[in-house]
Amino acid sequence: MSASTSNHSAQHQLVLELPSDTAFLPSAAAAAENAAQVFGLDRNGALRLALAVEEFFAYLCRHAGREEPIRLTLSDGGTLTRADFRFRAGEVSLRALNFAASVDMDSGEDAELGLLVAARTTDRCGLTRSGPDVFHVSAEVDRAYPEAEPQSAPQHLTAPLRLEPAPASGVVQHAALLAAGRYPARLRPHSFSRPARFADMVATGQYQVLLALDTVGRPAGLICWRNSGRRAVVFSGPYVFDPALAQDTARLLTEGFLARVARTEALCAFSERPTEDLPHGWFEALGSLTLHGAPDGGDDGKGEAQPVDQPAFFRHLREDAGAAVWAHPDLFPFLRREYDRLAFSRDLLAAEPTAPARLPAHSLLATTLDRLRGLAVLRPMLDGRDFEANLKAHVEAIREQDMRDILLHLDLAEPWQGALFPALSACGFAPRLVLPHAGDSDILVCQHAPVHS
Amino acid sequence: MPPSIAELVPEYIRAFEAYTPSRPDPVLMRQYGVDHLHRLNNNENALGPPPAARKVIEAFESMRSAIYPSGDSYALRTVLAERFGKDPERFLVGNGSCEVIASVIKAFCEKGDNIITADKTFAVYEWVAEFSGFEARLIPLNNWGFDPDAMLAAMDSRTKILFVCNPNNPTGTWWDRDTMERFLRGVGGRAIVVIDEAYCEYVDDERFPDGMELMERHKNVVVFRTFSKMYALAGLRVGYVCGQKEVVDYIRRTHIVYSVNAMGQPAAAAALMDDAEHIAATRLMVAEAKGLLLPAFDELGLNYVSNAGNFVMVETPASDSLIYRQLMRRGIMVRTMTGFRFPNWIRISTVQLPVMQDFLAAFREVLAVVGGDPA
Repeated sequence: MSASTSNHSAQHQLVLELPSDTAFLPSAAAAAENAAQVFGLDRNGALRLALAVEEFFAYLCRHAGREEPIRLTLSDGGTLTRADFRFRAGEVSLRALNFAASVDMDSGEDAELGLLVAARTTDRCGLTRSGPDVFHVSAEVDRAYPEAEPQSAPQHLTAPLRLEPAPASGVVQHAALLAAGRYPARLRPHSFSRPARFADMVATGQYQVLLALDTVGRPAGLICWRNSGRRAVVFSGPYVFDPALAQDTARLLTEGFLARVARTEALCAFSERPTEDLPHGWFEALGSLTLHGAPDGGDDGKGEAQPVDQPAFFRHLREDAGAAVWAHPDLFPFLRREYDRLAFSRDLLAAEPTAPARLPAHSLLATTLDRLRGLAVLRPMLDGRDFEANLKAHVEAIREQDMRDILLHLDLAEPWQGALFPALSACGFAPRLVLPHAGDSDILVCQHAPVHS
Repeated sequence: MPPSIAELVPEYIRAFEAYTPSRPDPVLMRQYGVDHLHRLNNNENALGPPPAARKVIEAFESMRSAIYPSGDSYALRTVLAERFGKDPERFLVGNGSCEVIASVIKAFCEKGDNIITADKTFAVYEWVAEFSGFEARLIPLNNWGFDPDAMLAAMDSRTKILFVCNPNNPTGTWWDRDTMERFLRGVGGRAIVVIDEAYCEYVDDERFPDGMELMERHKNVVVFRTFSKMYALAGLRVGYVCGQKEVVDYIRRTHIVYSVNAMGQPAAAAALMDDAEHIAATRLMVAEAKGLLLPAFDELGLNYVSNAGNFVMVETPASDSLIYRQLMRRGIMVRTMTGFRFPNWIRISTVQLPVMQDFLAAFREVLAVVGGDPA
């Protein structure tokens, strides 16, 4: 076992290389608990993370390749502590990485739903892949922050407005509370109700923010964004505080936001929580998703009584070079309609399902769970003969977790993913949106039919 | 486990997005289902090279491809020296001006240094600084032009280079002699001032400052010029830097030799021989194109920016990338301006009237299609 600490990119990290042996389980859990407390979690939060690390580690010891150690990285994310396991997995064990994988009853082990055990104790967790057989399973626990009362916006702000690209923490917190006072919970990040958390997220780079100020320095509006993968940013807002200046404020913020991201590595900007103040003509409408939100409405307890159609907007930050995408022919009518509407040049290539004889027995799905939003996102990682059954099992397991919204992303750069559509359809998923360039190529977002309770 | 490849890469490289050039015309035409493509995106001179340069290109013998070119563009530097009345050693020729930008930054900047330029100008100054690990201080344009006072105010002891694009791409604004002199006095020799004159041949105004003359009084001035714009040799990639001998000597130490090809060197030299008529014809073409476009933009109620240079920028009522895609479907290729930090603007290169008429017809169609889109 080896360990090191670093202060990489101003964020503290503790890195452990652990043999794939459950004898080291107490070491992993103790390191997680200690690091979480050093990184600012309270005792309860530290224990939650330690429990998740314990479960993950035990799980990986059973199923990851044994030839190389498991790397555990514990990171201070400012407002959260993250535990990330990086490991190499042999094909034989991949099935077990499914969140909904049941352990084989015949083996005599209990029939627990795999990694979902660990997921229950954390705020977010997920499985990602960074190489042919290199995987990451990660979990995050948020620091506790006090909730604050939303504030009413001051009236009669005075133009001309100006942008403040680097506002002080106090100003960020004040602006977040003003936005919380004017916009419903579903249209703003949860952290607006815990403004110290939002300010810390800005300070640590989880969010970037632009403020509009009036002539005497009062906040007139806010827009914030974060990275989503390597090539996209997702934004929330714009939030404007004086209706009389709404148009000017929204335009100033939108233009400033685009100028800030224009020469970054981001290729596209997508809306995450677009407000009605989003100026016309700056983004392209991709469609909408029907979202139910978390049963308890997340951290402010104001859940939506009715499902809400949330529109999705997009903007390319470069000139589109065209692309070829793979899809099952059943998807062609939907894709042709969307690509034509959006004027995207795409060669549609027919992806037929692989013959079962040529597939491995077990498929693999990556699951990301966001409890605060009641949202689960599935991404196929490996095809297998059991794909449809595996997907059904995931849907059932996720529903049991009180997640009301389930999305599935297909990367249309991959023929085998494009070919999965009939199985998705059989499991109750329908195509809703195309996200240009959101993956290796375009991402097709499918949504599971909402549950009627 | 060994570190991932990404962990071996410096943070400033990881954070940098490689520039993706547009695909070859035949590929684009197939993708967008068109049988022609008018290139109005790169400010190329649609008249083609001056006659003497054409002759050199047409006479180029294929066997010369087997021989290395002059490693330091000896003959071309001699022609440049005669043209501008300077020592050939004061010229350094590169594979387009982008290469000499990199050479200048490598020559003068070290860890902790910064460069200063505008936020909305040719992106390569900023890009090269950032992927080399140096801070690029970006000063907002003032009334579409570089802001000399704000640039001076941004200087500190670690400022090594100030880049002034004169005329500016993409706004076409330029500093007159008085503004440039005042700015250079303000710099006071504390840093290198690069005056990028890529579009200088398009300016026909006696108030326009000549960098070649300024460098004789301000030893820290370096001038960039290119054969890619007015001289229509973009495909051969020839640009150059001129400055005081001592300054150029330092830049030469970081510069790759043999980077300018064997056809480009004599073609560029020939282009200087008979450029008067060529420049006049090009200026006339640009004036006629603007004479068609600008009233049309007025009629459409669109804001535009048109100053020096063979291009016009116009504000669009929808995302510039959407306008781009819609125009591509009609065989017209323009430059989107989000990357220049002008979201919802496009830049159109000004070329011969029939092509400008095609552009306007397509543009009107596209505006009709996208005009009703609520978002």
